[in-house]
Amino acid sequence: MTVTNQPIGTLKDSLLPNRRTSHSLGYDAWQRLIRNKAAVAGMFIIAFFVIVALFAPALSPYSPIEIHSGVKYLPPMWVKDFNGQSGQAEYILGTDTLGRDILSRVVYGARVSMIVGLVPTIIIVIIGTIIGMLAGYSGGKVDNLLMRLTDIVYAFPDLLFFIIVMVSLRDTFIGQMLNGLLLLFAALAIVNWVGVARLIRGQVLSLKEKEFVEAARCIGAKDLHIMFRHILPNSLSPLIVSIAFSIPGAIITEAILGYLGLGLRPSSDPKDIFITSWGSLLLDGQSAINAQPYLLLVPAVCVALVVLAFTFLGDGLRDALDPRMRGTQ
Amino acid sequence: MATYIIRRLLWLIPVLLVVSVITFILMKNTPGGPWDRDLEARQVDKRTQEILSEYYGLNKPLWRQYVAYVVGDFNKEGEFVWGLVAGNMGPSYRQRGRTVQDILFKAPVGKSFWFSRAGYSARLGLFALAIAIFVGIPIGIFAALGQNTWRDYLGLFIATAGISVPNFVMGIFLIIVFGSWLGLIRIVVKEWNSISVWIVPALVLGFNTTAYTARLTRSSMLEVLRQDYVRTARAKGLAERVVIFIHMLKNAMIPVVTILGPALAGLVTGSFIIETMFGFPGLGRAYVTAISQRDYSMILGTTIFYAILVALANLSVDLVYAFIDPRIKLHD
Amino acid sequence: MRKLFSILSLVILASMVLAACGGAKAPTSVHGTLRVNVGAFPDIIDPQKSSFVGEIGHLNKMYEGLTKFNAKLETVPGAAESWTYSPDGTELTFTLRKNLKYSDGSLLNAERFRYSLLRNVNPATAGEYAAITDEILGAPEWRGCGEDVAACDAAKAVVETSLVASHANGDACTGYDDKSCNTFTVKLSKPAPYFHTVLALWVGYPAKQENIEAGGETWWLDPQYHTGNGPWMLSEMEQAVTTKFVSNPEYWGGEPYYDIEYSYITDSAVSFEAYKNDEFDVIASAGEDFGAIESDPDLKAQHVVYAGSCTIAIMFHQLKEPFTDQKVREAFAYALDRDAWVADVDSNLSLPTLTWIPPGYPGYKEGETRWGYDPEKALQAIAESSYGSVANLPEINVTFSDTARNRVRHEWIVAKWKDVFGPDLKIALNAVESTTYTALTKDIETAPSVFRLGWCADYPDPQNWLSVYWKTGGFGERIGYSNPEFDALVNAADVELDPAKRAELYQQAQDLFMDDAAVAMMYNTKNHYLVKPWVKGWSASPQDGLFPGDMDPTAMYIDETLLPAQ
Repeated sequence: MTVTNQPIGTLKDSLLPNRRTSHSLGYDAWQRLIRNKAAVAGMFIIAFFVIVALFAPALSPYSPIEIHSGVKYLPPMWVKDFNGQSGQAEYILGTDTLGRDILSRVVYGARVSMIVGLVPTIIIVIIGTIIGMLAGYSGGKVDNLLMRLTDIVYAFPDLLFFIIVMVSLRDTFIGQMLNGLLLLFAALAIVNWVGVARLIRGQVLSLKEKEFVEAARCIGAKDLHIMFRHILPNSLSPLIVSIAFSIPGAIITEAILGYLGLGLRPSSDPKDIFITSWGSLLLDGQSAINAQPYLLLVPAVCVALVVLAFTFLGDGLRDALDPRMRGTQ
Repeated sequence: MATYIIRRLLWLIPVLLVVSVITFILMKNTPGGPWDRDLEARQVDKRTQEILSEYYGLNKPLWRQYVAYVVGDFNKEGEFVWGLVAGNMGPSYRQRGRTVQDILFKAPVGKSFWFSRAGYSARLGLFALAIAIFVGIPIGIFAALGQNTWRDYLGLFIATAGISVPNFVMGIFLIIVFGSWLGLIRIVVKEWNSISVWIVPALVLGFNTTAYTARLTRSSMLEVLRQDYVRTARAKGLAERVVIFIHMLKNAMIPVVTILGPALAGLVTGSFIIETMFGFPGLGRAYVTAISQRDYSMILGTTIFYAILVALANLSVDLVYAFIDPRIKLHD
Repeated sequence: MRKLFSILSLVILASMVLAACGGAKAPTSVHGTLRVNVGAFPDIIDPQKSSFVGEIGHLNKMYEGLTKFNAKLETVPGAAESWTYSPDGTELTFTLRKNLKYSDGSLLNAERFRYSLLRNVNPATAGEYAAITDEILGAPEWRGCGEDVAACDAAKAVVETSLVASHANGDACTGYDDKSCNTFTVKLSKPAPYFHTVLALWVGYPAKQENIEAGGETWWLDPQYHTGNGPWMLSEMEQAVTTKFVSNPEYWGGEPYYDIEYSYITDSAVSFEAYKNDEFDVIASAGEDFGAIESDPDLKAQHVVYAGSCTIAIMFHQLKEPFTDQKVREAFAYALDRDAWVADVDSNLSLPTLTWIPPGYPGYKEGETRWGYDPEKALQAIAESSYGSVANLPEINVTFSDTARNRVRHEWIVAKWKDVFGPDLKIALNAVESTTYTALTKDIETAPSVFRLGWCADYPDPQNWLSVYWKTGGFGERIGYSNPEFDALVNAADVELDPAKRAELYQQAQDLFMDDAAVAMMYNTKNHYLVKPWVKGWSASPQDGLFPGDMDPTAMYIDETLLPAQ
């Protein structure tokens, strides 16, 4: 077990005292990652949902918007006698308020929810990290101005903003893209980067006074280099946690914003790519909790699985990228 | 320190100005107005709408409305009525006859501030925040100290439940379990005067923050645990370990404190979903309803109140940074 | 004729009171509390400023108008014991009951009613329902006088002379403590034989001037200022939590048998749990809970469903493509399977309809069949239209207010239209935020080409359905509907004093309106409540606001022997 005594990236790669292998750092990290069982499980879950999303039409037994008269609120097929109804083999996970097949809707929901979970999160992380680093590292006036900006955005009346964006841009080209999802990504990103920015700034404020940053400065490292090679890698932990939290947040916000007419347009064409989402299934399920609790259960389990997967993968990645953890797993 | 605080407080003025201008522009550009009512009710006829707009000065130019709101304006009797600068948040257009500050901060006759909407929300939010701190942080420490053991996984399970189950689901679930099945709580609270009726809504409100706090604590603790001085210290005697533990915790707290600041502002201003579900008379419902009703002065008033809270919370966070890590300098 | 009518209604009222008091099980001393979940907390509880169903559901417990409605939607005496119209129908005179009192024991005379109507018309009050009394001579002028002080004073003077409180012999009253002041006369700008019905509404409730002045703008929040003449008195109000009413011993019709407690839970799933937990006696049931109710024999027996007061229709904008063409409107109306809608979407909590005025309301036309569901005729109508085929129709955007329920509703409508017209139909759903929707749909310029909208009765008279909504310049203007022939018919009907002839004219007007296929009638709402078995003595009315029996709540009582043991 070899443990370097320095925080990540403290010394230039070429100066690493113990060059154990001839592999690149990326290869090393990958090796460590795939030896981490939880991270591998996470990757499998994500791969599974990606495949489900890609091949939704082939995997779903019905069209997600097909209305089956007379079979509303059926429980899953293995449930006998719930509210006087028994599950039917034709509808494996049951039906919703209009008699639409839940399995098909969940399968299609994976498309929207995977994208909605990931894309805004990536944008938020990029904007938030840059602003947070800049503010924390520069300090002084820059920090003050940027942080007052975050104060403003925090207090921003986002509901109003969403309504305006929806009304003014909905019928434009941008509003139509990705069935309205693009607009949603932009709106979510604009109001949500502040949390990440403050988190990173807090880390930077503390890290930039640490010895290894001093050391890097002494050997003449450039500011940008210090920020991205020394400080950022050491700020990864909270960032990874906040990513894992941002994903379900976005999935659920998508559904709630759906009721402001922002985001996914309701679809009437089964050939559309984006038709429904886990978030809207959750909302349907909440209001119908007495009629058909399974309506709630299935999307909730899916969201939880995705969150777990990203948490495992995130933790694994963090460990893999940390040279100090080399050989510990 | 004192100059720093004063300077930061002075910065509130431009922040509030920008927030109020943005909010004002946004809300005035949102389609619909305060007289566009729910469709199940009868529409307000055009003439009545005009009379109402005239009555409240909504037909004046926008800049005048803004100035009237912030600074003040002359009323029909020709007296000058101060606006926001004097704490007057304007008349509500939908809860007619009431001013915004009256709706937000005034308790029923004979009761203390804590029985106003803001007071109710503050109590629930502080309760939820206490849960986040006193449950979330220990769970995080517990998980970090037993990384990759059952303790870690238990923490992970709770945290995952806390973030992937939305609060509207968690709320109805707890209501069914504690109210209908176990019969431990009353579902309809008619008097919010005993601690037992607060627990479930506070749990639901605080669940997400608790989970976030727990995960952040865990990851920062792990980070700190990896530092050498900790490793060394752990090898030494117990007393030393306690000292180090406290020191370590302090070091791990930066991310946690960062999110708890805005979380405090968010929690004490309430949540629409939770207040709707539990019939709780807080600010969250008032705010969201105001937006959907286009109750302009309510929207502006609540937004500004929230902005003040956020700015103060973030100021406290920055002060706490300096306390946790004396090397962090406050720029003054 | 009018007089005869009022005497008749007096008899009906008397028989009702007898039934309530003389019934075998009717209690005399039993005194329970009716616990109702009413949903959102009212914005304002002020007789001359309120306008929402929930707000009115508070006011009608504390106050009573000159007239009121019974469960059969007949206009019956309230604080007035009788009323007469002058022969030309432009003067309406009420005679008040003897010894009327407010709940604090103070005298209630005709001056009080005069004050409340003056307050309603006064532009300074700016009440949202003020327009409903525009038949009062001078009222529209006063309300609309704007900044012109001279015009305002002149119009005010006219209204002041249009509303006269006097002694039975015509002598002027001396004030609020004039005991003989029992006659109230309203001068109307045109014959309005329905106006005594309008005065049953909350805008005529006699709020006390002293209280309003003493309590300031927020007088209505404080029980001490809500001194009314209704069967109950406000005893406690904590906003957004609970409101309590206690029975009023001074009420002329006798003290009610129970107190009332309102709660404000807006989440239907929570309210349903609380009901099952015996924390409410009455709640409105929700479509989502229908399955759970149907499968439980107890709940099923407690589920009360009956006709409501609204008609919902698909509105076609008469000036926007392709609905400028009557044949296209007919086609889309033919293509709506109302029976399937009611079963699939509304869990049978609505009633399919093909006509405008709902059943139970005067003017309802039984047996209307025009534009009912018929897919073949739908296709045929398109073929006969100027477009010739479905493929030639421009894209249709179905706009709706975005809520969970509405999303499902409109997904259903679009899916079914596609079933009928085939894949060539270009149709899309356009979801907008709810207040934006209200704003869009109120104006002829911005109203979408097709949307779902309805009307709920204010008072049981065809005038409220036809003249108020579909006359040129009325609420129906939003979709560009204007038919001079229709206008002529309703104008004649509005001032007609002979009830039979009047009803006939309205019937013709409604027929004419249906001929135009301006809208596709969809359904009438139903009132649907869960009511505990110990709530007794109620009689359902389409216009019930908050609970079954709300139109005539004094007859109800709580049978405490049935209450679950605590």
